[in-house]
Amino acid sequence: MLKVEGLRAGYGAVNILWDVAFHVDDGEIVAILGSNGAGKTTMVRTITGMIRASAGSVNFNGEELARHNSRYILDKGIVQVPEGRQLFTEMTVLENLEMGAFNKQRKEHFAENLRMVYQWFPKLEERAKQAAGTLSGGEQQMVAVARALIGMPKLLILDEPSLGLAPNIVDDILNVASTLVRQNGISVLLVEQDITKALACANRGYVIENGHIALDGTSAELAANDHVKKAYLGI
Amino acid sequence: MSTFLQACVNGLLMGGFYSLMGMGQNVIFGVMKIVNFCHGEMLMVGMYLTYFLCTTFGLDPYLCVPLVAIIMFFLGAVIQHTLITPSLGTKSFTNLLFLTVGLGLLLSNGALVLFGSEYRTIPTSYSQVYINLGPVTLALPRLISFGVLIVVSIALFAFLKYSTIGKQIRAVSQNPVGAEVVGINTKRIYILTYGLGTALAGIAGALLTGFYTIFPTAGASFGFRALIVVVVGGLGSIPGAFFAGIFLGLLETMVALFISPSYSDLIVFVTFIVILVVRQLIIIRRK
Ligand SMILES: Nc1ncnc2c1ncn2[C@@H]1O[C@H](COP(=O)(O)OP(=O)(O)OP(=O)(O)O)[C@@H](O)[C@H]1O
Ligand SMILES: [Mg+2]
Repeated sequence: MLKVEGLRAGYGAVNILWDVAFHVDDGEIVAILGSNGAGKTTMVRTITGMIRASAGSVNFNGEELARHNSRYILDKGIVQVPEGRQLFTEMTVLENLEMGAFNKQRKEHFAENLRMVYQWFPKLEERAKQAAGTLSGGEQQMVAVARALIGMPKLLILDEPSLGLAPNIVDDILNVASTLVRQNGISVLLVEQDITKALACANRGYVIENGHIALDGTSAELAANDHVKKAYLGI
Repeated sequence: MSTFLQACVNGLLMGGFYSLMGMGQNVIFGVMKIVNFCHGEMLMVGMYLTYFLCTTFGLDPYLCVPLVAIIMFFLGAVIQHTLITPSLGTKSFTNLLFLTVGLGLLLSNGALVLFGSEYRTIPTSYSQVYINLGPVTLALPRLISFGVLIVVSIALFAFLKYSTIGKQIRAVSQNPVGAEVVGINTKRIYILTYGLGTALAGIAGALLTGFYTIFPTAGASFGFRALIVVVVGGLGSIPGAFFAGIFLGLLETMVALFISPSYSDLIVFVTFIVILVVRQLIIIRRK
């Protein structure tokens, strides 16, 4: 589904990602693990067209996306729940969800998708008319996930959904993602610092360090890896 | 009593203009976080444009309003695309400051060269028609202008609240990163926003010509008041700008009535400074 090769990107003259390569198959949950500043968010921004790659390729279902803008990439079905949620805080929850329907096709399916996300997150229906900025952190993360689901992702990217949230809310969100993978056959790229949670949910994973892919393997392999244990799990 | 009511009505009317100018300034500020220092000059361009359309084609000034709005929209869009957007990339506030201040100077001096410094008016058959509303008397042009101002303000509210582009404008002003995440083309929104702000200033200019003289620096006082309105009403807040504009208009006429017309500018500026200082003190107190 997604195949990234030799990806290089950064900010201005500063290069952050060095020849990053990984792939996500249909119906897979793949974790990208790494500590603060490793380049995870930079990678997400590059794949979604928010910053331009200086080299490499992002192949999605056979199409090269690396030189396209973010709107084009959204149309193709790569939708992200960004780091820090990035909601429109003075708009209502419902307006935020409307903003997730970015093209004609998504607008046509808005009503049914709205019903679906309200089923996943009943809290959001209660709060539909409330300004998003007045919600709790967990509820805001739900809005961010719901907004992405309104965009009908084929590949859903979650950038640190656990950031600042209670464990049970994180479980709820990861649970929604896993169910969507099983029921609708979408794929998920899960970017996380919380390695235990991420590996429990993912099929495979990659460890990114200083902008390089340092390790990869199945969740079980990574959980058993000595380097991972020492550097990330503190065992 | 009737002079007081008369002053209220006049204050409301001028306040409506300040509101419109402030709202235009605020839409631009909200989206791009820049202060548009040539906003008043855009009003002046709207006045001369109306004058030109009326004298050349014999149109009525109020019929010119939609035309002026459209032309000013495109003028703003072109300025945004060719001048402002490229400077936004440099992230230098001083660049943008000089750019909009410079544009303002260019426009007012351009008007001086093209039209000279004399004061112009657009004579209409109804400019001397007065309407009696109970104890208050109003020149017909002022009444029409006020009606149009209110309609335009309501239309602007509705546009920003309900239309797709209006929602996108709000989205970009609240969270530009979030806007990009949901695929909004921010460059396009910049163009539409600056066009919209410029059109609003142009509409204010066109509506003024019914009862106000036209001269190259006619926009300056409105531009300055738009800044006051924005600061008092809250940066980026459209309803805030609307009410602050009305408040400013009423304040001016009340000062003119109870103290002296020659003090009204002075008191407006003093009030402005007092509000700034008080707000700063409140912010410091909270911390
Ligand atoms: N807008 C930016 N401009 C310049 N440098 C940036 C920018 N954003 C991030 N960086 C730098 O890029 C590097 C990688 O940052 P990135 O946000 O991709 O890390 P991350 O792995 O997502 O970390 P975290 O887990 O803290 O979110 C860091 O050194 C950071 O300082
Ligand atoms: Mg990050």
